[in-house]
Amino acid sequence: MEPFHTYYGIEWYWFLLVWTIFALGLHIYQVGFIVRLIKLGKEDHRFDSWKQRFKEFLTDWLGQRKVIEDKFAGYAHALIFWGFLMLITDVIDLGTGGLFEDLLTIIMLDGIWNLIVDIGYAMAGIGVLFALYRRLVIRPEKLKNTSIEGSLILLAILGIIITAFIIEAGNMIGDENKLNQWEPIGVLFAKQMNGISTSNLSTIIDLSYWIHMILIGGFLIEIPQTKHSHLIGTVPNVMFQDHNPMGTMLPMQVDENNMAVKSDDLDFDNLTLGVNKFTDFTWRQLSDGWACTECARCQDVCPAYSSGKTLNPMQIIMDLKNYGSEHGSLLLTGKNPDETIVERFNPEAIWACTTCYACVNACPVHIEHVPKLTDTRRHLVMEATEFPEELQNLFNNLERNSNPWGLGAHTRADWTEGLDIKIGEPAEYLFYVGCAGSFDERNKSVSRATAILLKEAGVDFSILGEMETCNGDPARRAGNEFLFQMMAEMNVDNINSLGTLKVITACPHCFHTIGKEYEKYGGKYEVYHHSQILNKLRKEKKLNINDFEHKVTFHDPCYLGRIGGETEAPREALGGNIIEMERHGKNSFCCGGGGARVWMEEDADKRVNEIRAREASETGAECIAVGCPFCMTMMSDGLKTIGDEKPVKDISEILLENLEVKT
Amino acid sequence: MNIAVLIKMVPDTESKLEIVNGKLEESNFKYMVNPYDEFAVEQAVQFKEAVGGKVTLVSLFTDNNTIDTDLRKMIAIGADEVIVLRSKDYRGDKPSTNAEILAKKVKELNADLVLCGVQGIDYYQAATGPMLAQKLDIPNISGVTKLELNDNLITAHRQMEGGIQVIESQMPILISCQKDMTKVRFPALKDIMMSKRKPFENQTVDYEEEADIKQIECTLPPARGGGMIIEGETPEEKVDKLINILKMEAKVL
Repeated sequence: MEPFHTYYGIEWYWFLLVWTIFALGLHIYQVGFIVRLIKLGKEDHRFDSWKQRFKEFLTDWLGQRKVIEDKFAGYAHALIFWGFLMLITDVIDLGTGGLFEDLLTIIMLDGIWNLIVDIGYAMAGIGVLFALYRRLVIRPEKLKNTSIEGSLILLAILGIIITAFIIEAGNMIGDENKLNQWEPIGVLFAKQMNGISTSNLSTIIDLSYWIHMILIGGFLIEIPQTKHSHLIGTVPNVMFQDHNPMGTMLPMQVDENNMAVKSDDLDFDNLTLGVNKFTDFTWRQLSDGWACTECARCQDVCPAYSSGKTLNPMQIIMDLKNYGSEHGSLLLTGKNPDETIVERFNPEAIWACTTCYACVNACPVHIEHVPKLTDTRRHLVMEATEFPEELQNLFNNLERNSNPWGLGAHTRADWTEGLDIKIGEPAEYLFYVGCAGSFDERNKSVSRATAILLKEAGVDFSILGEMETCNGDPARRAGNEFLFQMMAEMNVDNINSLGTLKVITACPHCFHTIGKEYEKYGGKYEVYHHSQILNKLRKEKKLNINDFEHKVTFHDPCYLGRIGGETEAPREALGGNIIEMERHGKNSFCCGGGGARVWMEEDADKRVNEIRAREASETGAECIAVGCPFCMTMMSDGLKTIGDEKPVKDISEILLENLEVKT
Repeated sequence: MNIAVLIKMVPDTESKLEIVNGKLEESNFKYMVNPYDEFAVEQAVQFKEAVGGKVTLVSLFTDNNTIDTDLRKMIAIGADEVIVLRSKDYRGDKPSTNAEILAKKVKELNADLVLCGVQGIDYYQAATGPMLAQKLDIPNISGVTKLELNDNLITAHRQMEGGIQVIESQMPILISCQKDMTKVRFPALKDIMMSKRKPFENQTVDYEEEADIKQIECTLPPARGGGMIIEGETPEEKVDKLINILKMEAKVL
């Protein structure tokens, strides 16, 4: 029994044709609008390494690699997604009144096709039921305030699936019952429907068919308007994901070799510094808006959001999309609305980011939240000069004395007193001490411990002494890209003149910036975090260290673990039994100090470091090991505030304490 | 309105202080704009923005240091021109001589208003400003915390012990600016870049010493002794120990 007959004396396909033209037309018009909006963005050359991109597309899009990291919602989504890929051709078949299947019959593939479609509908159905269960019964915290839209759409999809089965079943019953074993679920439906009178059956099937088609058309119209735009947006997003190492930022201006233009040659007459307008973003930044599925995984892991600040990374992405949709017609005429992107994001939110990249790491569709915030910071600092007052001190101090505290540059090597360390001489390794390790009392002891261990193991190293300056990371993450570039150029000159290309540092921010960012400024170095070198020395028995006796937990620094990709070396170097916090390794939670946040004021009731200090404290460890000077400060302060007196120690300090005394 | 702002370049507060042969070792000093003078520049620019005119920065300095970057920043804030008078014999602690040399230049500028910082943070003499007013034969208000301009009338507020003094005067006048007179803006990067296109002139001058003061000796303050943390189980025990130390060791009780 089929729905393909005349209705009110008119052939069925005329109705379908009108509806299809309407729905598809609206769909195409809206998608076109979005594409034109995204094309307003600036260039971002990502049309390279196609082989890698294609592979990533297969694993991340087709394979749902990051989606299924969430075991419940992720697999539910994957079932719906894979199911729809399998059943999608059925829409053509139903739209052509079965012509598609007739074609397949000729080449004898109709059976297997029917099976695939049937399983597809079943998978999608199971996925939808799981998703509905999650939304309506489990109701996780993050879904409590979302609109009912999500559930309605799921019900609509369920409608599409059930009606499809009814239509399938209708094919099998009627004048002559012929159960098609290639459609097992359809057969189940057919058996249930057996016994219904022919006229009723015909009505049910007709109704199902038209509900099915109306829902699909409605879905097409709805897709570009809601979060379901991700059905389209994720394709370019996944395909053109960032191939630079995580956390790397773009220079203000690059030459034809993609190297940073020297600060003296920057074309300030034509440069836009940072982002204030929609069109200041690159096309890839803009496409993020329409790729967002509002899954809120970024929100869940964001330290700023978790500590009650204005920033919610998901809101930033939705802001971008809503801004584009609301002002789209005006933007497409080349004009800009009065309200700027910075205003829409809200400066308070922009300054709350610790640039820990947890959001970027969590996003299943490769949305890049952090660059949106650091780009708007660039605008606020370099163009608008509207930024937290504390940062003015930071910038002045970096400019004058090349360290964030503004302490005399000539005292940078004072921590070495009595250690007999080579200063400014070539050696196998350069120990890049960093500002905290040079000037901050607590962290000086980390520099000393590291130096003593390196000497103990017979490593040939020197430091830059007064020639060393801050690597520029605080200035850069705070939006002062020009100051960063000046410091980067100076450091590259100094390190290159020394000629040492292997660098050891105890600061993950130096580790990241010198190792991954300086290349664009003419400095290509092999950079090691001290834990990597100490681990190597321990393995090679050049350092004889006993496993520590106390219970220790290790707090992964963002720029070493998640961003730097190194989570093993610090643990191996420490040895012994580490009690892990629930969030560790690449999923570690920021101490609150990154993104120059350590230099900014933080409301007493919204402190990130307290959250993390509690997590560390709850492990029952007797000592908290860190591998970053800012984590050292933030974790020590955090523990103090929550009234916990556990010591915070750097990896090198713990190793030095357990160094076997030579006999 | 024609405004002249005097800028003193002073050693960075974090400079290394060393005394060699009874003299301060200055060769490694880095120099910066005297912080009080920054208030003067900001105030001058605010007046210029309100009523129009020109802001000229005048500085007197040695001939062997590069100070362009710091002075360019002052242009970026909104000043129009920089004139640096250079002499190899310049010293920061000769207010009378410095005022005389500066007076010659400022006279040429026909300034309606001369602004400077209340004192240089190198020698803290607070003398050059008033001396310059004397040599220019114009009135002077020192240590101003708030300044207002109404046509040709200047209203200045001065913070005094327990109150505020309000002074009115006609221009031309020399005003020396106290801390926090106004908030110095942070120049936008584009303004810093554009500052390179504004006039920046170095002029060599003779340094003829006036009847001036002479430094005989300089010493560094005695090094601070280390602190002491008193250990103890209870606050009472710690207090007892403290009293004992104050009595027996410090002998202040």
